[in-house]
Amino acid sequence: MNHYQLLITVDDKQVVLERILQVTRYRGFLINGMSAVVNTGTQIGTIELQVSSERPIELLVDQINKLIDIKGVKVDNRSSRQSSAQDYLLSTQYK
Amino acid sequence: MATDNQHTGGSLLFDVLQQHGVQHVFGYPGGAIMPIYDALYDSDVQHFLVRHEQGAAFSAIGYARATGKIGVCLATSGPGATNLITGLADALADSIPIVAITGQVATAAMGSDAFQEIDVFGLSLACTKHSFQVRSVDELEKVLHKAFTIALEGRQGPVLVDIPKDVQLAAVEKLGIHYDQITNKVKLPPADVSKALEVLSQAKKPILYVGGGVGMANALDEVRQFANETGLPCVSTLKGLGAINADNPHYLGMLGMHGTKAANLAVQECDLLVAVGARFDDRVTGKLNEFAPNAKIIHFDIDTAEINKRRTADAAILGDLKINVPLLSMPLNITDWQDKIVTMKKDFAWQYDHPGKGIYAPAVLNEISEKMSENACVTTDVGQHQMWAAQHMSFNEPCNFLTSGGMGTMGFGLPAAIGAQVSRPHDTIIAVTGDGSFMMNVQELSTIKRFQLPVKIVLIDNAKLGMVRQWQDLFFDGRLSETDLSDNPDFLMLANAFDIKSKMITEKDQVSEAVDEMLDHNGPYLLQVKIDAQENVWPLVPPETANDKMMESS
Ligand SMILES: Cc1ncc(C[n+]2csc(CCOP(=O)(O)OP(=O)(O)O)c2C)c(N)n1
Ligand SMILES: [Mg+2]
Repeated sequence: MNHYQLLITVDDKQVVLERILQVTRYRGFLINGMSAVVNTGTQIGTIELQVSSERPIELLVDQINKLIDIKGVKVDNRSSRQSSAQDYLLSTQYK
Repeated sequence: MATDNQHTGGSLLFDVLQQHGVQHVFGYPGGAIMPIYDALYDSDVQHFLVRHEQGAAFSAIGYARATGKIGVCLATSGPGATNLITGLADALADSIPIVAITGQVATAAMGSDAFQEIDVFGLSLACTKHSFQVRSVDELEKVLHKAFTIALEGRQGPVLVDIPKDVQLAAVEKLGIHYDQITNKVKLPPADVSKALEVLSQAKKPILYVGGGVGMANALDEVRQFANETGLPCVSTLKGLGAINADNPHYLGMLGMHGTKAANLAVQECDLLVAVGARFDDRVTGKLNEFAPNAKIIHFDIDTAEINKRRTADAAILGDLKINVPLLSMPLNITDWQDKIVTMKKDFAWQYDHPGKGIYAPAVLNEISEKMSENACVTTDVGQHQMWAAQHMSFNEPCNFLTSGGMGTMGFGLPAAIGAQVSRPHDTIIAVTGDGSFMMNVQELSTIKRFQLPVKIVLIDNAKLGMVRQWQDLFFDGRLSETDLSDNPDFLMLANAFDIKSKMITEKDQVSEAVDEMLDHNGPYLLQVKIDAQENVWPLVPPETANDKMMESS
């Protein structure tokens, strides 16, 4: 299991947090912790997510980035035991 | 009634739709969308009343896929909105630009479990590209423009706009915001093709793997020219069919689970796959880690998230296919490989001589394909008949073959054909359906009747849920659980009830005349083709198996 910390900046829309949580779960990442500052009336919201998964984090980053109201996604710290997308794809096939 | 810039939310909706060139919408009214239907009454937009909201969504999809324009559907809150969901999922899986407008209970009632209130905005998160809930009429105009932009830009997809009843009724002044029609203008850095050029130039056995993205990027000419200049042998996904011209001597047809033997063997042997607007779907790859085991990958796509998702790319080229694909064009010295491809194509060509008097579905579909006009458009449902259509019919453009690919949704064919016929009134539209799938949206025969749409329905009748029956026979010891349809209704009487001319054929020697009669008929027509219930689709790559280990008979 790899642990990752994501820092996500968003265009502050009401539902954006829900969208991020939905994508994170659907793409096979467990949410271990979260702190979010959204709907504050400023334009930009920030969301910190701690997630874990067997899957490489790039898969999630790309999917979150694809959401319409996302400004940016940064992976903060990377776990020491980290598999590459290639290793992962060779070891398993997922839908 | 609205004058000039003075609107209600409802009339503003139609005004903006027209600004985006929308002339036709598919929908079904109800309480929470009544102000919009009231505004429709005065609008020039033509509305097609479907008989189930799922039909509206599929007709919008058929409309969009047949033309490349956005399809629009309308539904009321609650059950109307939930009935759209399958269509939205289908559009998401196949990246189809549709805009769905749903009515919602008034803002004051929202969140109170009001009559016909469902959180369709919440439901939409998993089945749309994006969605909006319009809380104030002042946002409406901008949101609608955004919905159209988002549906079309980059990788296309469905967008839902949920509009509470009070917002539909509220007075508003049109701002006249000007939004350009945007297509594929995603902000991506210019592609670096140096790595890809190097990989391509070294390949000895390369293959071009063409997906649905090619048609959607409107990159047919560029991809065909690229195929010609490089001489690359080509294979196609289900959604890519039509992108490569059928007379290309190095085109091997569809790959994957029901792909041609030649296509699958060639891909398993190749040393380079150039994937263009394709996503290595599990129905294409079979067992992923044995798919094209010797191949390097060059991956062209508009969607960053598809790169390395299921297969790592040696070179990725992100962006508009129309611009990027030509950048790799170069003559390749691969004559030995091309010769081998031509031989395989010949050795494994389809055979249509079938023993007995009974009708062989592949032969019928092939005959229709040869007889139909160049610009005829075929829709399918889901099952054996769908795979036979994909294998044995040929299309000169992807917009002439509309099939539910990613979602594989039964019930797609008939309403999609309605949408296609509305968008292309002068073209022949043929719905190839199965006796199971046809019944899933059979109510749409009413829509055909009302608008006298000349859709041709080819009902491949095996009195079975054939594709599931085939799997039960092959992989579940022939335990035929709930796949018998031998008590089907009388389809000719059914057609008759909707004023649709029809005919049933049961033997080979009736096929030719019946196909001519159907194609020559001016109005709607249902041709019921009775086939043997035991026929299977071949070849078949069993689940979790490498694509070269296909079964060719049971
Ligand atoms: C909405 C939906 N439900 C169930 C399925 C599963 N399914 C796939 S093919 C098939 C049988 C289709 O029967 P029919 O339309 O008669 O086509 P045939 O295979 O007999 O040609 C079924 C049940 C599906 N794809 N879509
Ligand atoms: Mg059937």
